[in-house]
Amino acid sequence: MVRRLMLFVTFAAMAAALAPGAQAARKLRVITTIPDLKSLTEAVGGDLVDVESLTRGTQNFHEAEVRPSMMLKLRRADAVVENGLGLDAWADVAIAGANNAELAPGGRGRIDISRGIEVLEVPTTRVDRSMGDVHPQGNPHFSLDPGLASAITQNIVDGLARIAPENRAAFETNRRNFLAKLEGRMAQWLKAMEPVKGSKVVVFHPVYIYFLTRFGLVQAAALEDRPGIPPSPQHLVNVIRQIKEERIKVILVEPWNDVKLANRVAEEAGAKAFVMASAVGAVKGADNYFAAIDYNITTLSNALR
Amino acid sequence: MRAFALTVVALLLVATPALAQDASALRREIEQLRQQLQGLTERLQRLEAQPSPAAPPPAQPTPAAQAPSNPSTQMTPVSPTELARPRQPFSLYQQRGAGQLLFDIGIAGDFVGNLTQKNVEKAGGGTFAGRENRFFPREIELALFGQIDPYARGELRIESGEEAPGDEMTVHLAEATLTLMTLPYGTQVKLGQMRNRFGWSNAVHEHDLPWVDRPDVYRVFLGEEGLVEKGAEATWVPDFLPFYLHVLGGLFNGDNETAFGRGRINHPLATGRVMAFFDLTDTMALQVGASLANGETAERLRSTLLGYDLKFKYRPDGWLHPLLTLASEGIYSIRRVERGLDFDGDGIFDAFQKQTKNRFGWYATAELQPWRRWSFGARYDATQYPVAPGWQWAVEPYVSFYPSEFLRFRLAYKHTDKSHRDVSDLLGNGGSSRLVDELLFQATFILGAHPAHPF
Repeated sequence: MVRRLMLFVTFAAMAAALAPGAQAARKLRVITTIPDLKSLTEAVGGDLVDVESLTRGTQNFHEAEVRPSMMLKLRRADAVVENGLGLDAWADVAIAGANNAELAPGGRGRIDISRGIEVLEVPTTRVDRSMGDVHPQGNPHFSLDPGLASAITQNIVDGLARIAPENRAAFETNRRNFLAKLEGRMAQWLKAMEPVKGSKVVVFHPVYIYFLTRFGLVQAAALEDRPGIPPSPQHLVNVIRQIKEERIKVILVEPWNDVKLANRVAEEAGAKAFVMASAVGAVKGADNYFAAIDYNITTLSNALR
Repeated sequence: MRAFALTVVALLLVATPALAQDASALRREIEQLRQQLQGLTERLQRLEAQPSPAAPPPAQPTPAAQAPSNPSTQMTPVSPTELARPRQPFSLYQQRGAGQLLFDIGIAGDFVGNLTQKNVEKAGGGTFAGRENRFFPREIELALFGQIDPYARGELRIESGEEAPGDEMTVHLAEATLTLMTLPYGTQVKLGQMRNRFGWSNAVHEHDLPWVDRPDVYRVFLGEEGLVEKGAEATWVPDFLPFYLHVLGGLFNGDNETAFGRGRINHPLATGRVMAFFDLTDTMALQVGASLANGETAERLRSTLLGYDLKFKYRPDGWLHPLLTLASEGIYSIRRVERGLDFDGDGIFDAFQKQTKNRFGWYATAELQPWRRWSFGARYDATQYPVAPGWQWAVEPYVSFYPSEFLRFRLAYKHTDKSHRDVSDLLGNGGSSRLVDELLFQATFILGAHPAHPF
């Protein structure tokens, strides 16, 4: 009996001694709030991470339904990658219900990718909700601007390296490879957009300002006169008049917008509405970061010619 | 030819060690550069950790981002010792700009109006007893909430509202809680005064309910406010199950006079809840819960409430709101009561007999929201009374209009059928009511911060 007990204790001690090594080989479990960040985290983390997104590309990230299943994912996670700037504030509720100490505010598992981003459309005057669902910290829809991928991925590398510092070099290498690939594609995208540079577009909700600015396009108007509030008929009349006067060709729509309304406005104004890849997975074929940008570049360059 | 071959071999023999030496030197150089880079990275992180008055405050400060990680804790599971280590509590605030509040403020205003029959008003038998045929502020709530430090979150809610006709308004503490968020093994502890997580609707504040009034079963078994108690509760979320499970246990004073009332922590009200959640598809989900509350009444007799709750939602892909919500909750009450026995018929009790009253109440509700601004629903209530004989049922169709996310108007009609008459003995005005028909109106607004609600 004593011998068995000693054997058991010996095995337990050996298992305990080996445990850190076994743990070190485990992949990091990373949760992202939106699918764009899943794609970027996978690019940076490579084989060292398992990444899941709390939302799908077809959802409106402003008002994601906080499901307890999100809390379960966060309960098991080593890190959560957040967009920030108020886009995914709902994630705080999911994190609070996850009972995961590492993800609590101030925990090392929180990765905010908006750090160091040059934010556009930051209100310069006092804002209140009479202006609609305004983001006081600026426009948060920057994740699909390829020009900001360098800053975003650096934030992800730093965040992942906080949890697994021994893998920093690997994360850095993955990031460099990703950025090198991005550089090549960027040249192609800029070339494709060169002929339509300076063109005006109308958007449904101001989601594309970073993307449009990057490729030299101009956001002339938005169908929503106040973000997040259904447009008034008078505003739509004004937008239709503006589209006609300025000969604007396209209205850019997210999959979760009122596409029928956008089509009616486009028809009335002699333009055309296009559902864009507002996020990775938002439309068929936009299954990763490069594919989503490819889709948007192709759509815009063809539509504006 | 042989000489050439010999020369090549000789060169190779000489060059191989030289190449090996070169490779070795190169490796050393790379290693040195790597170490330099690591040193610079750490230095940069340390520099970034210092507050910079010129830099704009980040959206969500993550102080750990600036702290060099401790390699000895790499990839190991979170141990209690590790959780107890300092977390640079004050760097949370160093990142805030001057003049910024360190917590969020929200105000919710909830106004209710009701029209009913004269006899119901006289008997005080309406949904808002004593305030029949009135329009009044039911709940004006000031909510302050935020992180206390990296370990804990605080929440304070102060409410004011009309509880009786007249100019006077009462102000009371609705909730004041402290939640410890960095405990190990998937646990959290919440303490203070709180709306108990008994069922799913009890924890929801009046202005956030999907109906004008709280379901009858809660009002009958727990009073108009529901279960609000002082004490502590611990929650555990296991990470090894294939679905979300939330386990809760709590100890409270037992101040609720409708169901308990002993009001002593040494004879506590013990609560428990198990809630499971299932993603049926990407668009459909089901939440199932079971709750328990066991305490003593003011008469020092045992009172137990058992509850169930179900909630189903269907939210089509990309929608900002659910298309269909179905829910039901029920409470089974087991209460010991004392009954007076008058053997000689002189009107004075000669003895007391203890007996157990087992009573049940439930409701079911359905809501359809085909458009962002409009939703339609109905609720059916049926409940016995915890001690008195008899029962009541009610049906309440309603329509809600949302001009925006922060403003809502609701109109409802409620028909209640009781098995007895509510007679206002105290008022002595002869009023009585058995059938109650009410037209209910609600206007609700939210100012400032208001966190999202889970499912």
